[in-house]
Amino acid sequence: MSRLRIVLAEDLTLLRDGLIRLFQAHDFEVVAAVDNGPQLVRDLVALRPDVAVVDVRLPPGHTDEGLRAALAARQQLPGLPVLVLSQYVEQLYARELLADGLGGIGYLLKDRVSDVGQFIAAVRRVAAGGTALDPSVVAKLLDSRRRPLDRLSPREREVLAHMAQGRSNAAIAASLVITEKAVGKHTASIFTKLGLQPSEDDNRRVLAVLAYLEG
Amino acid sequence: MSGTARRSTADPRVPTAPAVAAVSVVAVVAVVAAVVCAAVAIAWAVAGGGYFWPRWVWFGVATTAAAAFLLGWTRRHPPGRRRRLAAGRAVLALIVPVDVTVWALSGGGYFWPLWSITAWSILFGGYVWVVSRLPDRREQELTTRVAVLAHTRRAVLDGQAAELARVERDLHDGAQARMVSLALSLGMAEDLVRADPEATARLLREARSTAVSALDDLRTVMHSIHPAVLADRGLAGALRALALDLALPVTVDGDAPAQLPAAVQSAAYFATAECLANAVKHSQATAGGISLRHDGAVLRIVVTDDGIGGADPAAGLGLRGVRRRLETFDGRLDLDSPPGGPTVITITVPHGPGRLQ
Repeated sequence: MSRLRIVLAEDLTLLRDGLIRLFQAHDFEVVAAVDNGPQLVRDLVALRPDVAVVDVRLPPGHTDEGLRAALAARQQLPGLPVLVLSQYVEQLYARELLADGLGGIGYLLKDRVSDVGQFIAAVRRVAAGGTALDPSVVAKLLDSRRRPLDRLSPREREVLAHMAQGRSNAAIAASLVITEKAVGKHTASIFTKLGLQPSEDDNRRVLAVLAYLEG
Repeated sequence: MSGTARRSTADPRVPTAPAVAAVSVVAVVAVVAAVVCAAVAIAWAVAGGGYFWPRWVWFGVATTAAAAFLLGWTRRHPPGRRRRLAAGRAVLALIVPVDVTVWALSGGGYFWPLWSITAWSILFGGYVWVVSRLPDRREQELTTRVAVLAHTRRAVLDGQAAELARVERDLHDGAQARMVSLALSLGMAEDLVRADPEATARLLREARSTAVSALDDLRTVMHSIHPAVLADRGLAGALRALALDLALPVTVDGDAPAQLPAAVQSAAYFATAECLANAVKHSQATAGGISLRHDGAVLRIVVTDDGIGGADPAAGLGLRGVRRRLETFDGRLDLDSPPGGPTVITITVPHGPGRLQ
């Protein structure tokens, strides 16, 4: 695998250094590490990294500058892969990130960094144009009564939750300890029951599922 | 004169436009009066002298000027009892010199004003006695207001103390307990690292999951104090984010004022959140709505649901807490929930600069 170039935006030094160490240990190249929103937009546009890892809350305002900067950079560079990290997750922000339908979006709780293997996999998935949505966002999507999901079997709902997080069939199979073929059967059934167009493309698939869940 | 009265409530050093206009009117009137006074004196001289009648014209002009001045002085007093007493004093201050002047101008002699002054003084005494015993509306308003403020201040302090106690309890039972367990796991892992690498790995896994749970606890407590999205996106944005998380489709329309004080914003957010939580829990509704309206002085949030209605305003600690918090800002919560529904809750919060109501 080629060395992925990362721009990192995190204002807390402790966390920034930790993430830089983590990325370097996993053979990423951190081309810039910034601590504020305006600098982030400039660096993203100038350096065009393979993926940006961005804290939602950044100076100068300490509100959602990171998110706004990521969205601004993606307007100039459509599809620029961005993984947003946050101490809390909001469906509202997930929708804003996914709104352009171009993929290459990650939105995870900072806690997920602790599961290094999964976190690195998520960064790589986003860099490849995929989606990595935090399980707690997906849980809220599945929890709401907006959409009829009663037709799905418990197993299918589990598969749907993983799918909505942006995982591939292989990853879902590994985490549910079933065969990839079984996952394929479940996904086909889910798509039929929900009346969605099946797609081989992981990314298009997750966007269809999210569009359905968001209503 | 009204300009002068208004100016006294603002910065007295900076004349307002009406004050400047009033001053120029006074100057013009004074010049006209002076011209009239001089003209009658000249007319008297031209007509050949004799009885000096212009003194009566001067007397009229001076009396009018004094009356105008006293009227302005009276109006500078705050409305109510103090202005009424000032009016009485002004009348007395005008009538006594007028009587004495009339006596002097008409040639003196027997000092008859003694009787009229005595009569007026007795009348004034009676007037003062009546006015000071009349219940004053302004005073009643202020008394009621002070009682309301004392009550809401007490309530908000009680509420704050209870809230801090809850936060302390949540932190103690949640994040703090997990941190203790985390430190324990790490300590044990340190002991075992050479002897039993496998057990160490298990302990570290445990430690990691405990750390994540502690973060979850902290997140919940922090959200209950001040949701981050409220700081990020303001009241309307935070309510939109809240609506997305509910297990009930809720539409949000309208907007909140841009410069809403943080405390008002927070109170309005938690009030709306409580109403929606009740709708989700008890109303069996299939849809809800939040509508935000504001007119520069009052923010009005209407929360509706199409559920079974019959919500009891007295029941539930939640709504009472919300009411108490809103009262601190002179806000209120009105509940209309007939059996069979729909439920309409109106939250009203004044947000303009503080004023007496």
